[in-house]
Amino acid sequence: MKNGFLPRTRSVGSDVSESAMMAGAEKFVDADNAEAIITRIEHKSRKIESLLKQNKPVEALKTALEGSPPMTRDERCKSANWIVVHRALMTIKDVEGMFSSLDPEYYDILMKYLYRGLSTGDRPTCDQCLRIHEKLTERAGLGCILRSLADTVNTV
Amino acid sequence: MAAVAVHQFVQCITCHAWSPDQSMIAFCPNNNEVHIYKLLQDKWEKLHVLQKHDQLVSGIDWSGTSNRIVSVSHDRNSFVWNQEGPEWVPTLVILRLNRAALCVQWSPKGFAVCRWVSKVIRKKHNSSVTGVSWHPNNILLATTSTDGKCRVFSTFIKGVDTRESKTGSSSDPKFGEQILQLDLSSSWAFGVNWSPSGNTLAYVGHNSMIYFVDDVGPSPLAQNVAVRYLPLRDVLFVSEKMVIGVGFDCNPMVFAADKSGLWSFIRFLGERKESSSGPKSGSQISEAFGKLYGQSRQGLSNDTVEPSKIQGAAHDNCINCIELLKQKGPKTKRFSTSGMDGKVVIWDLDNQHDLREYL
Repeated sequence: MKNGFLPRTRSVGSDVSESAMMAGAEKFVDADNAEAIITRIEHKSRKIESLLKQNKPVEALKTALEGSPPMTRDERCKSANWIVVHRALMTIKDVEGMFSSLDPEYYDILMKYLYRGLSTGDRPTCDQCLRIHEKLTERAGLGCILRSLADTVNTV
Repeated sequence: MAAVAVHQFVQCITCHAWSPDQSMIAFCPNNNEVHIYKLLQDKWEKLHVLQKHDQLVSGIDWSGTSNRIVSVSHDRNSFVWNQEGPEWVPTLVILRLNRAALCVQWSPKGFAVCRWVSKVIRKKHNSSVTGVSWHPNNILLATTSTDGKCRVFSTFIKGVDTRESKTGSSSDPKFGEQILQLDLSSSWAFGVNWSPSGNTLAYVGHNSMIYFVDDVGPSPLAQNVAVRYLPLRDVLFVSEKMVIGVGFDCNPMVFAADKSGLWSFIRFLGERKESSSGPKSGSQISEAFGKLYGQSRQGLSNDTVEPSKIQGAAHDNCINCIELLKQKGPKTKRFSTSGMDGKVVIWDLDNQHDLREYL
């Protein structure tokens, strides 16, 4: 009998945190499949470049955040995904405008990447992450910060 | 105002419990004692001090059926106190725990969970058990733990317990058998509570989430609700469709289920300084982050308050315990909360008209 199983969940849209649904039930992909994940991220990257050329930075960010964090403990995969998210983050000029078209289901994962950005120590990255962090906290509340800190399973 | 009475007893309270007629309250003032107070002519008088534990008393429950008090402590012991005349006489209950006991609850029929199940629960839990709750049928027991999981056990004993089973299963579960393990939270879980009918289970995670589970059994239906605010520590069902959560925001939060059974946050119960959905949400946030973002906050200088205090709130520190009180009528719902500010606050939902539909 499975020990920690995932119950059926009611879909409540923005309130259901994807990482909460995944925790404990999804098996982590091992190194062999890391290549498949990296390929997927490269594919994402091309899509993001195309969206940026069309001047759609928020769409690019959503694309970057989708499928994150990669269900793996492989650091290369996490780094590859971070590079792609970072690229999209740095192109955002209008932070308020971004939030008017970013669905709340992205809030928790975005918060995790903001903290990764803040930890780089790189001045332009930190400035941008801090600007977005302020607005995200206003929108999503302290609970969002709590969740990004408390989740040690699905890290970025 | 939903808070109808605020009593400042001591500096800090870890847990509290009411006598069956609610004329007396027992609580631990953050030390190794249990204090019993009685309301005599509008004033709270300290009647007894129960001193037997060596360390912090972390859980107290007062049985509604037998007028006995059970207390558990970090010293890994549990005492059951019986009132014999003017004195409260303790009986030591050997729990055989390796670690501190954190919580205790009398079952509806009068069995304290620590007496019965400590040995069995110990096997299944590798981390601290932070909360226990008896199902109204006196057979199922739910626990939450610092490993983030919520577990439901059966305490059914053949020949002793009569089972009114709707599902009519012919194979009764064994005593201590784990019926269900919920792995919804990746951080510490607290505060588990069953709905009055026993159909729904609710518990909270330290990651600012609250979990609602229906159909507890082989195929449960779970709903994870992300909380905007600081984490909760305890929850209470005041009706089938309404849950009160309390925690680090020092203000009870109301959650309710709509007609389709979807749970969501309705509002805070107590007074709150500013509207939480406005752009300058909460002076405490702006205070703390003002320095982080390095911007001047002239507009809020009049509202500057200490980060941990919200003017007009009943509690000014973390609420860690919530208990249901005896109701005055069919629709009125009253409960009490105690917290690290040493206060016990009585709340009444009677004049909260927007919440009446959920009661």
